[in-house]
Amino acid sequence: MQHGINLIIKAVAPTLGPRPRLVALSPQFGDTEIDVYDNAGEIARRILQIRGRDADVGAMLVRDMLWRLKNQVGDGTATAAVIFGTVYNEGIHYLISGGNARRLQTHLEKGTKIILDTLSQQTRPVKGKEDLAKLAESISYDPELSRYLGEIFDIIGAYGRLEIRKGRSRQIEREYVEGMYWERGLMSREMIADWDKLRTEFENATLLISDLEIETPQQLYPVLELALRNKIPNLIIVAAKMTDSALGFLLANKQPERFQVVAVTTPEYGQESQAAALQDMALLTGGRAFIKVAGDTFDHVSLDDFGHARRLWADLRNFGITGGRGNPRAVRVHIQKLRQAYHTIDDPVFKEVLLKRIGKLMGGSATLWIGGITEREVERRDDLARRTAAAMRSAIEEDVLPGGGSVFLECRDVLREQRDASTEPDARAAYGILLKAMETPARTIIRNAGFNDSDVMAELRLAGPGFAFDVLNETPVHMATAGIYDPAGVVKAAVFTAIKTAALALTIDVLVHHAKPEQAKPLGPTARMKL
Amino acid sequence: MDERPFANTLSQLAASSRFAQDGLCFAASMQGLLRSEDGGQTWLDAYQNLHLPAFLATPTVALSPAFVHDRTVFAGVMGGVLHSHDGGHTWLVAELPSPPPFVITLAVSPAYERDGTLFAGTLEDGIFYSRDRGYHWQAWNFGLLDLNVLALAASPEFTTDETVYAAVESGIFRSSNGGRAWREIPFLLDDAPVLSLALSPQLSDDSTLFAGTEAHGLFKSMDGGQSWVRLAPDLLRASVDAIVLSSHYPTHPHLLVLADGELFVSFDDGRSWEPWPGSAAIEPPITAVMAPEDLTRGSTVLVGLADGNIATL
Repeated sequence: MQHGINLIIKAVAPTLGPRPRLVALSPQFGDTEIDVYDNAGEIARRILQIRGRDADVGAMLVRDMLWRLKNQVGDGTATAAVIFGTVYNEGIHYLISGGNARRLQTHLEKGTKIILDTLSQQTRPVKGKEDLAKLAESISYDPELSRYLGEIFDIIGAYGRLEIRKGRSRQIEREYVEGMYWERGLMSREMIADWDKLRTEFENATLLISDLEIETPQQLYPVLELALRNKIPNLIIVAAKMTDSALGFLLANKQPERFQVVAVTTPEYGQESQAAALQDMALLTGGRAFIKVAGDTFDHVSLDDFGHARRLWADLRNFGITGGRGNPRAVRVHIQKLRQAYHTIDDPVFKEVLLKRIGKLMGGSATLWIGGITEREVERRDDLARRTAAAMRSAIEEDVLPGGGSVFLECRDVLREQRDASTEPDARAAYGILLKAMETPARTIIRNAGFNDSDVMAELRLAGPGFAFDVLNETPVHMATAGIYDPAGVVKAAVFTAIKTAALALTIDVLVHHAKPEQAKPLGPTARMKL
Repeated sequence: MDERPFANTLSQLAASSRFAQDGLCFAASMQGLLRSEDGGQTWLDAYQNLHLPAFLATPTVALSPAFVHDRTVFAGVMGGVLHSHDGGHTWLVAELPSPPPFVITLAVSPAYERDGTLFAGTLEDGIFYSRDRGYHWQAWNFGLLDLNVLALAASPEFTTDETVYAAVESGIFRSSNGGRAWREIPFLLDDAPVLSLALSPQLSDDSTLFAGTEAHGLFKSMDGGQSWVRLAPDLLRASVDAIVLSSHYPTHPHLLVLADGELFVSFDDGRSWEPWPGSAAIEPPITAVMAPEDLTRGSTVLVGLADGNIATL
């Protein structure tokens, strides 16, 4: 098991620091190209199995930890891996010499709390696009990407909507859209009013929000009758589907100068996501959402059911609103609830959905177009941008810590005090292990950059508190003064996950393997033809 | 009472920084903008050179901090911002994007002379900014979850901290990046709407700001808006429409508020209050106030009234 653990850690450790070494993975599943990575989480994800059943258990334990961490905070996987490696290997060493695994685990967990408290004392907020760009650079090591991300996060904040898309050119580009928009558009090209812009725009717009399927024109009669009777000049109907006859009925409008009506498709896929999108839209515009599964129809539609917005636009792909006339207090309370939910749930997919909903409600969005020369470069940069963005959201929410492993070095004094004050051997061992583990990130960064870690660590001891090795300038610097920071949330999550998982792994005494299932016999040609 | 061409509630007053010498001041109302060159003794229609066919509702007026040199005046109207560069004689129109936003509050950067920046708050369309002295405007409402803007205030250190506060129907928002993005600050939803804001001239040191609400009186924050305490809840029970701070605050902790049509002043940072001399006797209610010179005992205060009159107290 230890062999498997160390295999994974050796595979990902070279990726730590601003001068990471690349890790190549041999092709699998019929691929012909060798994949090259510089991110520990991604490498761990791609290693599906290693030889030897016990070793495989160890490898998968680390893999699972790293993958969970990547999903949780987007970064910090290499840091977690090297801390895990030191705690686990030093722990095994101690247990072989007669230590008690359970007590060691308890003291390691106590030590983790001390480390987290010490880290919390060193955090500072990050604000302004320059600070944010520096932070992005300390995560991505890509100055151009960092400049754009600094500007974007200065505007959208921790919860804002950021779409990262593969590029339209060789460069990185960004675009801001005011208001909110959904990725569904006009149901018919005939509904485009402005053929230069290929879109329709309404001022002081009225909306009818639903996920209903409109089969016949008769279903729309009550809506149109109500709108015309009340001299509503324009209407946008949101519906899941509309038959050709219903669309034809809307397009047969003879007096577009008096009344304009268009239809757009209900955004999102799946019942739950659609209902959530409609709820948000209704809240923003002060309208009511007509939901199919709730048995709603337009039969008794009233004026209060209509939503309103200062401006509305729709093209064939998207539609959006600016200045929804919903109750702003209700919108703020709703966003607050979504934020609370975002912080309490663990499921990364659901978290992502919530973040998108909050972002849409925040009143603006940014799109980052990732350019590059080759498709491989675009893909790598796209992944890098997503990881960096996730870590930056965490940094804005939970502040930053000085980078380069310096914050871990700062934890050594308090751990040393604890060790010296302890009389119990398991406690002394635990604090000793953590002392060593706190040096590992800085040592790994130095080694990865091609320097002798012992020599540089001696220089850092002389330099004093707050110093770490600035790999790019090849000199010890005071990290906070140099503006080199890591997201505090990422650093804390990495150290917590690594020590907790390693402490748990040290208590594993027995591995039980499932019997290998009998391999299905390959089908013969006749059977394949029947299928 | 002084002569004036309109009979309509005055919503805002503004004066030249050399008021004592030039006597130049403006009064905004829903029927237009008034201009006086004799310290408020006589008033004339400031838009007379525009030859307007009808009244042009003007809820807000603001002067450049460098007015003495640049003679620049801004007036917020339905659909745009008017700007004058000759002390309010002639005007240029800068239209805002359709549908026409109703500009009801303006905030000019204290470093306007250098950065040419000003902000316009609108009733339904959020905040617009101009970086070129009011010629071109752009809406920028990222994070502003409530587009009903009632008051704006730019930090005295705007050049360095780029901070702007916006009072809205549901609370207060702050931008720390020159209006590029807005974040809500903790202000109880139940205490909103916020009608007026005043920032300490030493904001960067004392982090002090005041907020006047529609129904819950006056609030003070000493930590940049993170926490608030209500001042004089027994006296200032309902609406606080305007707040005037001494330009030497907090050295001179003088504070004047327009509450429910009356003026109250505190000379000890809001601990004790007294009616401003003469304000209780004024009829109809006071709707706008301005202290053209610094706010001290016995200094001159101009007030606008609900019937369009202007008085000196």
